[in-house]
Amino acid sequence: MKNSENEYRLEMTGISKSFGVVSVLKNVNLKVKPAEIHALLGENGAGKSTLIKILSGVHQKDAGTVVLDGQEVNPKNTHEGQILGINVVYQELSLVNDLSVAENIYLHKLGANKTWMNWKGLIQDAQELLDSLGFKIDASAKVKNLSIVQKQVVEIAKAISEDTKVLVLDEPTTVFDPKDVKKLFNILFKLKEKGISIIYISHHLDEIFSIADSVTVLRDGVDTGSMAIADTDKDGVIHLMIGRELKDLYPARNIKIGEVPIFEVKNLTAKDTMVHNVSFHVKPGEVLGIAGLGGSGRTETAKLIFGADKKKSGTLILEGKEIKTNSPVDAAGYQIGFVSEDRKEEGVFLPLSIRRNISVTSFDAISSKLGFINVENEYKKVLGLIEKLNIKTPSSEVNVKNLSGGNQQKVALAKWLSIDSKVIFIDEPTRGVDVGAKIEIYNLINEVAKKGVGVVVISSDMPEIMGISDRILVMHEGTFYGELQKEQFSEENILRYSIGEPLKQYN
Amino acid sequence: MALTIKEQLSSPGGILKFLVKYNTIFIFILLVIFSALISDVFFTSVNLSNLLKQVSGIGIISIGMLIVILTGGIDLSVGSMVALLAVTFAILVNIFALPLAILMTIVIGFGLGSVSGYLVAYQKMAPFVATLALMTIARGLSFIYSKGSPVTFTTVGGQYMSNFANNATLGIPNIAIVFFIIVICTMVMLRYNVFGRLIIAIGSNEEASRLSGIKVNKYKFLVYAISGALAATAAIIVASRTNLGSPNMGMAWELDAIAAVVIGGASLNGGKGTAINTLMGVLILGLIGNILNLLNVPSYPQQVVKGAIIIFAVLLQRFESK
Repeated sequence: MKNSENEYRLEMTGISKSFGVVSVLKNVNLKVKPAEIHALLGENGAGKSTLIKILSGVHQKDAGTVVLDGQEVNPKNTHEGQILGINVVYQELSLVNDLSVAENIYLHKLGANKTWMNWKGLIQDAQELLDSLGFKIDASAKVKNLSIVQKQVVEIAKAISEDTKVLVLDEPTTVFDPKDVKKLFNILFKLKEKGISIIYISHHLDEIFSIADSVTVLRDGVDTGSMAIADTDKDGVIHLMIGRELKDLYPARNIKIGEVPIFEVKNLTAKDTMVHNVSFHVKPGEVLGIAGLGGSGRTETAKLIFGADKKKSGTLILEGKEIKTNSPVDAAGYQIGFVSEDRKEEGVFLPLSIRRNISVTSFDAISSKLGFINVENEYKKVLGLIEKLNIKTPSSEVNVKNLSGGNQQKVALAKWLSIDSKVIFIDEPTRGVDVGAKIEIYNLINEVAKKGVGVVVISSDMPEIMGISDRILVMHEGTFYGELQKEQFSEENILRYSIGEPLKQYN
Repeated sequence: MALTIKEQLSSPGGILKFLVKYNTIFIFILLVIFSALISDVFFTSVNLSNLLKQVSGIGIISIGMLIVILTGGIDLSVGSMVALLAVTFAILVNIFALPLAILMTIVIGFGLGSVSGYLVAYQKMAPFVATLALMTIARGLSFIYSKGSPVTFTTVGGQYMSNFANNATLGIPNIAIVFFIIVICTMVMLRYNVFGRLIIAIGSNEEASRLSGIKVNKYKFLVYAISGALAATAAIIVASRTNLGSPNMGMAWELDAIAAVVIGGASLNGGKGTAINTLMGVLILGLIGNILNLLNVPSYPQQVVKGAIIIFAVLLQRFESK
């Protein structure tokens, strides 16, 4: 029995996980051999990150088993995971900026069992490790002075400084240029030779087909296939990643779309983010979808237009007139709305009541010159919106933190619906929202569009964006890579544009 | 719908919940009963009006502190500002007509507060640091302008002000009336005015406020300026009571003001707090001092008791948030 199990280094079997009522993983299997690079693929929200977090000990599984080298393991936190030999390099870097490279690499060992530090030895060891990776990085430099690529390398060095059996890399190349990607691959091949199992998460199919030995695909929390890379091709993988039917979730749209764009963006480039040369327009009554992978610059584009991020160049034209939005105050003044994807941090005021949340954008309409609020009007307006949006609450005075995700989202929307917006950007309108509330939110978006508002919806949920948009723009690495008309809508087309591939030609 | 008091009391565990929710008022009432039982002198008009006179100055700066804390900031400069502005007022009232001297002092207070406001809102300095600097500067300036000794009122205007500060209307000390008016105005502002609503919104989530198109910087600037103007008002009152402005006034008042706001249930993270509860916080602190004085407890044990009350009040509020 022991012998047969030794074929795999890591076996995750029947893994299930729910957060509250939302089921994220359903009976997922992942099997990785020693000295193998195993690609983990899936759309945004397919459950890749959750699976990895269960492996590393960040989350605890609800069901299933994890077997490492024939032993069932159950890490309760990342420290236990590391002791077992499971190390993860996350997309978000987790380095301490004010410490040196060497201190970061050996952070977990600093001060362990010793009273005095051997700084010289520490820096020497770190330097050797870095040199062996083939990147020129000074081990005594402060991390804050490194480039983002160098930081990523330090993360990898940190992960392999321990006795690593399984190394997980979550989208490691998003910040790399092709030359560095090659170097990274060389590192991975070396590690593989040493017998380390590598789980490699990436959206770049090219990368996967050049380095991976096998692949597992997740879709909606279910593994849809696992095979040797030699037995499949890009189309096969894409098919496994998508391939579900549009449900009757999306209300019919029969809104007359205006001819003249209400809002136009020309050659917009950001100062501090990757967004560059973004141009598009939206017509009154139109719902424009913006698709793309996480990190492709969708949210940043919306924030740039809204004045929350700094612009480098570009023109905004609202109703034929050029406008400048240097801050959200300007944008709100021009009746441009923005509903953030990060509901809790940027969307609603959790400790405040629904009433105080909703009226925060509309004081001009309900207060006198001296700023005194006409409370009667305020209640009328707020109660009207609560009813219209079907926000489930006993009263307008309930604090927003006590509402469900869907109802919180409706409050965030209500804030912008209570004023007459001309253009409204909605980032991830239904993230973490149950199906019932989803339909209500879609209906709401339609209603807003019907009033002649230009609605721009950013979404990672492919069926959603196809279900509610009139037209879809797909972002790839900070700019629009392609535009899809309604008849071209398909998950495959969106996915192809998102990963920078041309559409497939059918003749 | 919001439950009536009666409904809240009759719900299961209702009395406890009610007490926890209105804990500040509850502590205040307990203290009043306790004081009345323990001392015959407590419920005399002389004692009560003394108590009110004592708390009015700190009370007014506590209101300024409240609106700063509501935005998630803090203003450590108010105590020193009282000293500087008391000296300023004493100098001005000896030169200019009384109304002009009052107006100028308040404008100067607003201006000094604006410096903190500018540093915090536009230079993104930590409120603690910016107002700490202002605290030192203001104290230093107050000694420079007064040459280290108190400046006495010498004019008719000063005399008039001194009479006003030491007299009462309908049995209530005039300066307490000024304090109460400020409390009521703040109450109305926080509830019914856009300014109040927005500073609470900023304190509860600054990023969401920014993305809602609120002029976050402007409001953060203004709360420090207003805190400065309120410190000026407190300074005028305190100076007038004693007929002079001294650079030693307002020592550590910023700490009492913070204590009053915190006892009043406000969160130092911002977004939570009311004027009426801050008033209760001020009165509770004043009462403790008053009753301990009546019991002839020396001032050092008094400080220990004050500290213990702060801990007790904040622990009680933890239940509320659960």
